[in-house]
Amino acid sequence: MNTTKPKRVTKFSTKTNGLLNYSDFATFKGKIIYAIIFLLMLTVSLICLVPVIWVAVSGFKDVSEMYAIPPTFFPKHFDFGKLLDFWNRVNVFKYFKNSLILIVGCLSFDIIANGLAGYVLSRIKPVGARVIEKMIFASMLLSGVSLIPLYISFVDVPFFHINLSGSYLPIWMMAGANAFNVLLFRNFFNGIPMSYLEAARIDGCTDLGIFGRIIVPMSKPIIMVVSIFSITGTWSNFMWPYLILGSTEKEPVSVMLYTLTSTVLRDDESMLLTMISIVPMIIVYAFFSKYIIGGVNMSGLKG
Amino acid sequence: MQKNAKKGQGKLKGVLNRNISGWVLILPSVLLFTYIIWRPIIIGIAYSFFSLDGFSPAIFIGVSNYKDVLTDTNFLQTLWNTVQYVFWSLVIGFPLPFICAVMMNELVHCKSFFKISTYLPVIIPGIATCLIWKIAYMDGSGGLLNMVRYMFGAEATTWLSNKDQVIPLIIISMTWNTFGRTLVMYLSTLQGVNQELYEAARLDGAGLFGRIRYVLFPHMRGVLLLLLINQIIAVFNVTEQPLVMTSGGPNGASMSLGLTNYFYAFKYGQYEKSLALGVITFCLLSVLTFIYFMVDKRIND
Repeated sequence: MNTTKPKRVTKFSTKTNGLLNYSDFATFKGKIIYAIIFLLMLTVSLICLVPVIWVAVSGFKDVSEMYAIPPTFFPKHFDFGKLLDFWNRVNVFKYFKNSLILIVGCLSFDIIANGLAGYVLSRIKPVGARVIEKMIFASMLLSGVSLIPLYISFVDVPFFHINLSGSYLPIWMMAGANAFNVLLFRNFFNGIPMSYLEAARIDGCTDLGIFGRIIVPMSKPIIMVVSIFSITGTWSNFMWPYLILGSTEKEPVSVMLYTLTSTVLRDDESMLLTMISIVPMIIVYAFFSKYIIGGVNMSGLKG
Repeated sequence: MQKNAKKGQGKLKGVLNRNISGWVLILPSVLLFTYIIWRPIIIGIAYSFFSLDGFSPAIFIGVSNYKDVLTDTNFLQTLWNTVQYVFWSLVIGFPLPFICAVMMNELVHCKSFFKISTYLPVIIPGIATCLIWKIAYMDGSGGLLNMVRYMFGAEATTWLSNKDQVIPLIIISMTWNTFGRTLVMYLSTLQGVNQELYEAARLDGAGLFGRIRYVLFPHMRGVLLLLLINQIIAVFNVTEQPLVMTSGGPNGASMSLGLTNYFYAFKYGQYEKSLALGVITFCLLSVLTFIYFMVDKRIND
C-alpha cells in the first residue's frame, strides 16, 4: 500500500496570507528570508526595549557606579530604600495627584465636547454642519503655531478678563478641542444605523434622549479608545502644562520631570524619576492594549 | 387639506427642533475650537502688525516685526535646521515603521512579543523619552551608546555636543518614541490587502519583490502619502525635543523654528517677534496643509 507521509502541521504550513505563504516556506530561500526578517525584527524589538530596561535599572546605581570604567549595565545591587527615600524627598505623590486631576478633567472635556461634536456631525447634521466640520478638521494640521496668541487668550480671557494661568482649566479646554477625536467619534457614529434612531424618534424620544439612552450605551468601544489616547496624551503633555502650571503647586508629573531633571537632580536620580514617570502608563497600557488596534481601525485609515 | 397643512407644520417644527438640538449639542465644541484654535490664529495674524504694550496691541507698525524676524542673523540657519529635521525624519523615521510593519506582518512566531515591544516606546511620555535619550547620548562612560562602543572595544565619543550629528540624533530619539504608533496604522492597513492578488501574482510567477511592487505598494500608497505629509508637518513644528535635549545647542546647531518661537516668547520676552514668526510658520504649514488636502481628496476619490 502506498501511504503518503502525513504532512506535519506547523505555523509555517498553515500560513496562507501575506507576502510569504506556506509554499514559499517550503523552499530553502523562503526559510532564509524568514530567518532574516525574524532577526531584523528581533533587533528592532531590542532597540525598543533596551533603553527602557537600562533606565529602569540604572536608577538604582549609585553615582560612582554610573560613571565607572568599565561601565556596567545592571547595578551591583538593587536598593529599594533609595527609591522610597527619593519618593518621599521629592514628594512624588503630590505630582501624581496633580496629573490625575489633569487627566480626569481632560478626559471629561475630551469625551463630552468631542463626542457630542462627532455625534452631531454624523447623525443630526443641522444646517451649517458642513462649515463646522471644515472648521474643526482644518485645525488638525495647524496646532502648535500660535504660541503667544493662545497664551494671551489664557492670561486674559476675552469678555471675562480673568487670568487662567496656574489653573487646570486651559489644559482641560485644550483637550476639548481635539479634531482627531472628533473624527474618531464621527466615524464610529457613522456605523450606527439610522433606523435605530428613527425608531426611537417615532417613539417620541428627543435628540438628547436618543443620545443618552441609545448612543452612549452603544459607544463603549469608542469611549475606551478615546480614553486611552486621552489618558496617555495628558500624562505626556508637556508644553502647555509647563507654560500654564509650571512652578506652581499644580505641576503635573511631566512638568516636574523636566524642571527637576534640568535643575537639581543628579543623573542617577533623573533616571529613577524617569522610571517612576513611565510605570503608570505601562499599567494603563496593560489594561487597555486590546483597544488600541481597534482605535486605529476606527480612525478610517484602513486602505 | 387642513390636516395636511398641520402635518407640514409639524414636520417643519420637527426639522427646526432637530436643527436647534444639533446646534445646542455642538455648541461646546464650536466654542472650544474657536477659542483654542481659530481665535489665536486670527489675533496672531492681526497683532503681528502692531507693537505690543504688554499683551495688547499699541501702535500699528506694518511689517516691521516681520523684518525683525527675517533679518535676524540666525533666521536662515534656523530655517535650514528645520529643513534638516524634516529631511532626517524622512530618511530615518519614515521608512522604518513601514518596513517593520511589512516584516511583522509576515512573522508567525512571537508576534505578540514584537507587537508589545515595538509599542512600548509609544506609551512613554515625550519628556521621559527625551531624558532617556539625553542620558543614553551622554558623552562620558555613563552613556548607553558609549557603553555599547566600549563593548566593541572603541573609545567613548561625543554625541549631542557634535554639531553635525545633533539633528539626526534627536530625530532618532523621536523616531524611537513614535514609530510604534505609525507601525500599528500600517499593520492595520496591511490586513486589508486582497489575498487573492498575492495568489494571482504568484501564479504569474512574481517573486517576493514582484509581489511587493505590484500588490503591496499600490495598496499602501494612499496611507503612505497621508502619513508622509502628516509627519512633515509634525516634524516641522519640533520644539520640545531640542528644548529638553540640547536647548538648541551646541551653538544653535539644533535650533528649530518652533524652538526659536518659544525662546522669543518665553525666554527673551520678544512677543512681537514670536507673533511674526508664528504667522510665518503658519503660512509655511498652510502650504503643506493645502497639499495634504489635495492628496487626501485624490485618495478618497
